[in-house]
Amino acid sequence: MPLPAKAFQFWLHRVAPSASTADLCRISGIKRTTFAQQLVRGKVAETTLVSISRALGLSPLAELGSFDQYAELAAPPQPPTPAELVSQVATMDLLRAVISRSSPAYGGYGDQGSSMTPALGPAPHATSVRNWVDAIDDGELRHRVSAATGVAPQNYSAQLTANRLSPELAVETARAAGVGFTGGLVATGLITEAEAGWTPGAKQAALDALSDGELSALAGDRLQALGKSLRRHEQEQAQTEKIWENLG
Amino acid sequence: MIATLQWTTLAVCGIVTLARVPSALRGENRSLFAIFALMTLAILLSIDAPYLAVDQALGGMNIANLVLRFVIFAAIFFLGVRVARGFSADDALKLITGPVGIVVAAAASAVVVVVFLMMDTAGSSAGLVAVSAKDDRNAALVEFYGAAGRLYPGFITVALFPAMLRTLRSGLPVLVRSSAALLALGTVAISLSLLSPVIPPSLGFMRFFFNYSAVLCLVLGLSLIWLAKTLAKRAPKKQAGIT
Repeated sequence: MPLPAKAFQFWLHRVAPSASTADLCRISGIKRTTFAQQLVRGKVAETTLVSISRALGLSPLAELGSFDQYAELAAPPQPPTPAELVSQVATMDLLRAVISRSSPAYGGYGDQGSSMTPALGPAPHATSVRNWVDAIDDGELRHRVSAATGVAPQNYSAQLTANRLSPELAVETARAAGVGFTGGLVATGLITEAEAGWTPGAKQAALDALSDGELSALAGDRLQALGKSLRRHEQEQAQTEKIWENLG
Repeated sequence: MIATLQWTTLAVCGIVTLARVPSALRGENRSLFAIFALMTLAILLSIDAPYLAVDQALGGMNIANLVLRFVIFAAIFFLGVRVARGFSADDALKLITGPVGIVVAAAASAVVVVVFLMMDTAGSSAGLVAVSAKDDRNAALVEFYGAAGRLYPGFITVALFPAMLRTLRSGLPVLVRSSAALLALGTVAISLSLLSPVIPPSLGFMRFFFNYSAVLCLVLGLSLIWLAKTLAKRAPKKQAGIT
């Protein structure tokens, strides 16, 4: 649920009492029409608040926490679990880690976290939302989120497939899984890892802590999922071409 | 209002047909051009003034109406085959071109011809309105004749219906799915037009509404696919690759 415009106006008055709408749009990079529309409709997107907070040099997480519906975010954040951290490592970085650990004959260094291995890319990555939910799912998570929010399971799945999740659902998912609230917000790209208070080497450390077996299995799962989605895309492409060929 | 719908449909069909002339000359999908041309002809023959002109030339025995039925049959058959192939609807293709489809086509044609011969068809009249007004027997026969004429289009579109619904729920481009939605809507309209004989005269405009909206949906649905193809060829392809 987006932020109520009234509460948002109060917040704006508190953090930037003298700034005009035009100023705010200019420094935060939000389109004026978008901003005006959100205010008129009475629903301000969380991304708007995050952009303005960043532009004003404020912590997006803390500012989000100053709103009633995100009050939990104001408390000192619970750090992400190792599984959550690893879920935010991009698939290609995982595969690179596998190769890094292989013997020099295969282009690796035979050890973990060699200084030669390139740094991990920042979250979010192409499938970060689904990977995050999979990392914290005990098998019943989707049902609990669905029961708590009233969002139908297929709509929830559709969001995961599109690598999206509304901030509200991300927080609800974290609550239902009993993990910290920052994981979902990072996975959906609302805030960065640094803004979430994650230590700079946390992802790399969690990755290095995986055994060879765990890493290989995880990389295998990711590759399989990637293959499935690419194949589906290729089939759809072929189907579209066929329709065009016959009816275009 | 009915006249507006009729002439709008004719205009849309005519424009789409003309727009396809260049690609037909280039040799791309000529049968699709034929489908559009046949549909335009069918609409033309279902409007009063052109119908009367054509039928007078054919002897004033309403033979133009019989021609119209077979023009529709031909257009809908080619359309059905094309759509079934395009949407990979093997089940529909088998149904349309297989024994079942041939039997339905033959039966519908036979009934149309026999009923036509049983009617007193003298005197040109679009939609056989004047024939229907002659007496009760002719009125009943005209209803039968109309129902038989809609049977085959109904059969083809219903055969394609599951494939359209499948496409609608798939992850194909939005324009392709919209066109599947329009084709499915056309199917519903054609199926509803099968109910024409039981529509009370007070709701007579509904008959026209179903008939013309069916044709409009089919033509617009097909044009959307064409539009999608043209747009996609112009814009660089968005490929989901290994990231």
